[in-house]
Amino acid sequence: MVGGARGGGFFAVALAVAGRQVYKYFANPAFLAPALFPLFFFVAFAGGLTRVGDVPGFDYAAGYVAFQYVWALLQAVAMGGAFTGFSIAGDFENGFARRLMLAASNRQGIILGYTIASLVRATLTGALVTVIALLTGMPMSGGFDLFGLIGLAILVNVAATLFGAGVAMLLRTQQAGPVIRTPIFLVLFLAPVFVPLNLLSGWLEAIARLNPFTTILDAARGLLAGAPTNVLPAYAIGAALVAVFALWAVYALRRAEKTGA
Amino acid sequence: MAEKRAGIEVENLVREFRKGPRAVDGIDISVEPGEIYGFLGPNGAGKSTTVLVLTTLLPPTSGTARVAGYDVVKDGPKVRAAIGAALQEAALDPFLTGREHLNLQAALHGLGRKQRKRRGEELLERVGLEEAADRRVRGYSGGMKRRLDLALALVHEPRILFLDEPTTGLDPQSRSALWSEVSRLARDEGVTVFLTTQYLEEADVLADRVGIIDRGKIVAEGTPEKLKAEIGRPSVEATPAEGSGREAVARVLSRFGEEIAAQPGAVAVRLMGGAGDLADVVRALDSEDVRVTNLRLDEPSLDDVFLEKTGRSLEGEGAQEVKEAQV
Repeated sequence: MVGGARGGGFFAVALAVAGRQVYKYFANPAFLAPALFPLFFFVAFAGGLTRVGDVPGFDYAAGYVAFQYVWALLQAVAMGGAFTGFSIAGDFENGFARRLMLAASNRQGIILGYTIASLVRATLTGALVTVIALLTGMPMSGGFDLFGLIGLAILVNVAATLFGAGVAMLLRTQQAGPVIRTPIFLVLFLAPVFVPLNLLSGWLEAIARLNPFTTILDAARGLLAGAPTNVLPAYAIGAALVAVFALWAVYALRRAEKTGA
Repeated sequence: MAEKRAGIEVENLVREFRKGPRAVDGIDISVEPGEIYGFLGPNGAGKSTTVLVLTTLLPPTSGTARVAGYDVVKDGPKVRAAIGAALQEAALDPFLTGREHLNLQAALHGLGRKQRKRRGEELLERVGLEEAADRRVRGYSGGMKRRLDLALALVHEPRILFLDEPTTGLDPQSRSALWSEVSRLARDEGVTVFLTTQYLEEADVLADRVGIIDRGKIVAEGTPEKLKAEIGRPSVEATPAEGSGREAVARVLSRFGEEIAAQPGAVAVRLMGGAGDLADVVRALDSEDVRVTNLRLDEPSLDDVFLEKTGRSLEGEGAQEVKEAQV
């Protein structure tokens, strides 16, 4: 009988898109390559710069490995978002996005689907970074707020994914890669990466103080050390970034719809 | 509220691209439910742009289009739920298998797990891909990809099916199989089919009605028979046998109509009395002892219709400017 389906709603579309992306991550090991980036940074910096922890003024209670771990974790989840953006750009370039746009009754579900898949990827890379950190001697003292830290990591991942999705849907080509990656890299590195903010100086200190990611990074480090600072502002900044980039992604989706995706 | 048995209604549809000509320039189309509508035209005529607009992948610049009773601009989600489409390039994920594609497509349309499985099996069998179902599509041939694409378009049992040049690049066997399936869908399941093609034979064989588009405008529309009848009568071409001169053949044939261009060495005339004159032509040649090696009746083709309406031919490699060729 010919009748036509009612069409998948927002969540049906999101789950279908997420299912495909996650399947691809696990079916093809190459899709997991981005996880190696943060691991490399973590092993290189935490291993080679441990004596920074002895510098006067370095007052992070959990030690230098933990100090680096937090940054590596947030970098891993942020880059997971960026790589999801690359996948979206690829789907637009090879025409697969058109299939999604054609079948999805509610196209905003496509954005949610990619975001869910990105979270799954971030969970995997985040877990890998954590395991490596523990194996390389990161102390787990009592009092740390794991859920608070995970919450911030989720916000960073979602914000980066939505930013990448927006750029990917605007440019609709894999050439979008550098446009997605570069701003995320800059935001991640123009922050107190290797030493606390109070040990930075000059232009880097000025920029790091203005960088909203600094507040998130400091709060995440505080949560791990069991000495929370600026947690509410960090969550507020994370939520604001998610809201802004969600609007950005929806705007880009509308643009893609207008130009024939 | 959409009618249950609505087809496609297009009024004064225009689609312009920035810094480009009007790809679609004020076309009107009406496709009845259950009808196979052939949209014929050369490359760049506006066929695919029209399909993109009707499938809600591209908004129109102006004009209106209703598909399955829903406005393509205001009711995009309802249109998408009612239609299936196999576009010009089968966009498939090389890392997924055929079965996984069907499962994904069905999930996007909101089908439940059991329904997805049942529908997937059914369609894989219907398009003859059961054996290749669990292979990644990067190893599929062009024909297999096309068949999978058709199956994907049908997964949610759409009321209206858009096929954008579905047989381009297919071997004759695959093409014939696809034609059979499209005919069956319209005949047995009442699916409305909007088919774009640049193959005259395809439009002739499959379509109940044909719209011919050129440079964004519809230049002719009707049943293939009506369109062909409109542009003229059939012609007969005879090739003289050895011993019978061309003049003798031309003299006999001239009684049946005016002479027209023919193959080198042959004589052709447009039959005044239509195809029924053919028997009289044979009798006349025989009675005057004029022998021929070949006698061929040529009905007007859709290419003749296109030629008549645009001054160009659709056949061969792209539309050739006949006038240029004659100069």
